[in-house]
Amino acid sequence: MTVIYADNNATTAIDPQVTEAMLPYLQDQYFNPSSMYEVARPVANAIEKARESVAHVLGGIEANQILFTSGATESNNAAIFGTAKANRSRNHIITTAVEHPAVLEVCREMERDGYEVTFLSVDRSGRLNMQEFVQALQPDTLMVTIMHGNNETGVIFPVDELARITKETDPAIIFHTDATQSVGKIPLDLTGAFRYVDMLSLSGHKLHGPKGVGALYVKRGTQWRPFIIGGHQENGRRGGTYNVASIVGLGSACDLAREHRDDEKRIAALRDRLEAGILDRVPQVEVNGQDAPRLPNTLNVACHYVEGEGILYQLSALGICASSGSACTSGSLDPSHVLKTMELPFTAIHGSIRFSLSRYTTDAEVDAIIDAFPKVIANLRKMSPYWDTKTNQPR
Amino acid sequence: MSWEYSEKTTQLFMDAVHGKPGTHLGEIEDPDGFGEHGSIACGDAMRFTFRVEKDYEDPLKDVIVEARYMTFGCTSAIAASEALCRLIEEGRYSPIEALKITNESIVDYLEGLPEQKIHCSVMGAEALEAAVFNWAQKRGVDLEELGIDLVSEDEEEGRIVCKCFTLSEPYLRRKIQELNLRTIAEVTHATKAGGACMSCHQAPGGIQDLLDEVWGRKPATVKQVAEEPQPREPEPTNGSGLSSYQLMKKVEQCIEDYIRPQLQSDGGDIEIVDIKDSLVYCKLSGACAGCAHAGQTMKLMVERTLKDLVDERIRVIGV
Repeated sequence: MTVIYADNNATTAIDPQVTEAMLPYLQDQYFNPSSMYEVARPVANAIEKARESVAHVLGGIEANQILFTSGATESNNAAIFGTAKANRSRNHIITTAVEHPAVLEVCREMERDGYEVTFLSVDRSGRLNMQEFVQALQPDTLMVTIMHGNNETGVIFPVDELARITKETDPAIIFHTDATQSVGKIPLDLTGAFRYVDMLSLSGHKLHGPKGVGALYVKRGTQWRPFIIGGHQENGRRGGTYNVASIVGLGSACDLAREHRDDEKRIAALRDRLEAGILDRVPQVEVNGQDAPRLPNTLNVACHYVEGEGILYQLSALGICASSGSACTSGSLDPSHVLKTMELPFTAIHGSIRFSLSRYTTDAEVDAIIDAFPKVIANLRKMSPYWDTKTNQPR
Repeated sequence: MSWEYSEKTTQLFMDAVHGKPGTHLGEIEDPDGFGEHGSIACGDAMRFTFRVEKDYEDPLKDVIVEARYMTFGCTSAIAASEALCRLIEEGRYSPIEALKITNESIVDYLEGLPEQKIHCSVMGAEALEAAVFNWAQKRGVDLEELGIDLVSEDEEEGRIVCKCFTLSEPYLRRKIQELNLRTIAEVTHATKAGGACMSCHQAPGGIQDLLDEVWGRKPATVKQVAEEPQPREPEPTNGSGLSSYQLMKKVEQCIEDYIRPQLQSDGGDIEIVDIKDSLVYCKLSGACAGCAHAGQTMKLMVERTLKDLVDERIRVIGV
């Protein structure tokens, strides 16, 4: 069975050129880049080249502000815990209620540690209320950590504006953004519109790089203390032997992301066609985040009166990979915290499906999803006590 | 997380979805027994109906010959519904005999269910009980006289313990006993109670307390003492001797009297988003909103005017 992969916000296919770039470092280039001998030098150079590549995809900032980590989760942990450690006189954190757990759970942990945390809400389309944000800024605000693109809905927060307002209010407040879903997908220039951002997290495997590697941008001069210590690597800012092959892979993935910059439009067109196709063929469906700016690759649809796991299961049987915010797929009994915060009607919150595309997604694949999806929904509605198949309407 | 369903479970689900012969999707018109359980807000719900071959002398000898379901829910909820109908039809049970089918029978029929999906089988058993209760009412059978302690869900009112799934104390107490649930996790897996916000786990009268009441209390645990909230510092006044409130009023007045009229004469407008001491957050609207010079207007016009007329320390931030 051919696989149609439409779950690129979960992870992406590794680009063959990335694999190729990594291979030497899994073979004879095994030297520790921190070693003094001559043969280790090319390995050390490869790390610095990868650092330049990451710096480049973020708008050509100076590369020594990039630290390599084990992924965005570590980057987010390091950003928040490390900022708190370096600024002990401040006690307040601003974030949103729709962050990825790698930020949300860390903020909850901070709350348990005695910090005051403001979890900003969003409207029905997933947008922040700017007035609520401004009002949340306090004299003892330590940091603001707000994601760029939402992993579930693709809704983009105006991080450039939020960072500017934060720093104009009080330059001592540290602004961090989790840009895991947006790096490589939409323009993000840390020397331009995003120059007020102090810290930024990104991950390799969301942009066709390897898993287990990410980066944290820490703007020079930011009051921040290292989170993982125990070595002189990264100038003491992140201990641990360099994960050479993966770091090289991340660098290569960033180079390729820049080369493929123009794919954004093609991916957006595919997504728009998928969206229109589904809205056209399935009654009682709405797009989550409809009125907000969204990542070009993400489509999150709420199907009323059906449950997401049954949708995924049938799609999976057809070789289509997607995700759901339903309770049954979350591991807990609670549906997605993002959709709950958006106050999705209870008839739809369990029936939300996310399709996330990539530069590898083809027209034929989108056609196949448009073809399969209405049947899958109809099958489940036929069974639902809340749906009348005769009229094709809710009861 | 991939699915850890048995082959039987996935088979029943796929057969049901594709409406294969022998599956039980549907609703019997004028059923002899009708029962519902769950709700759409909780993520699964089932409507169960059956038809009996009536025994005109003794309703207790009625035999269930047809069972149907409509289910909103995940893969295992649908498979459990299908399993329930098959078990009943295969057994040719009387409604009273059908009560022998418990959630465990359904789990066995499905060749096992993942722990966190046990509530799907419980839903089937609950809907069956409700339908038998409904049949007894219609056929004038006195269940209590038969020594059957069946409570219709409507009657099971009481204090709500789990607010997320609207589960009452009598219901949970009964389930804890019937299903021999010993831990909070087991209660959640079987009934969903405490599976969402989790605040009822250790709340007074919450799930742990119910478990303790039913099974006896565990050794005393150390109670945590809530921290006293820190008193807020008094609001600082600023150098000009104006209180924050007075400053805010002056800013508002100045914008109203001088700034807004100027902007309006150019087809624009201004909205105050917030004022924090000497920081004034504004949003330009109308013709000014998309204007390339909006940033300059803020600094050179709005901020300058406020500095000159209200307080030199004022800074304006565009939102």
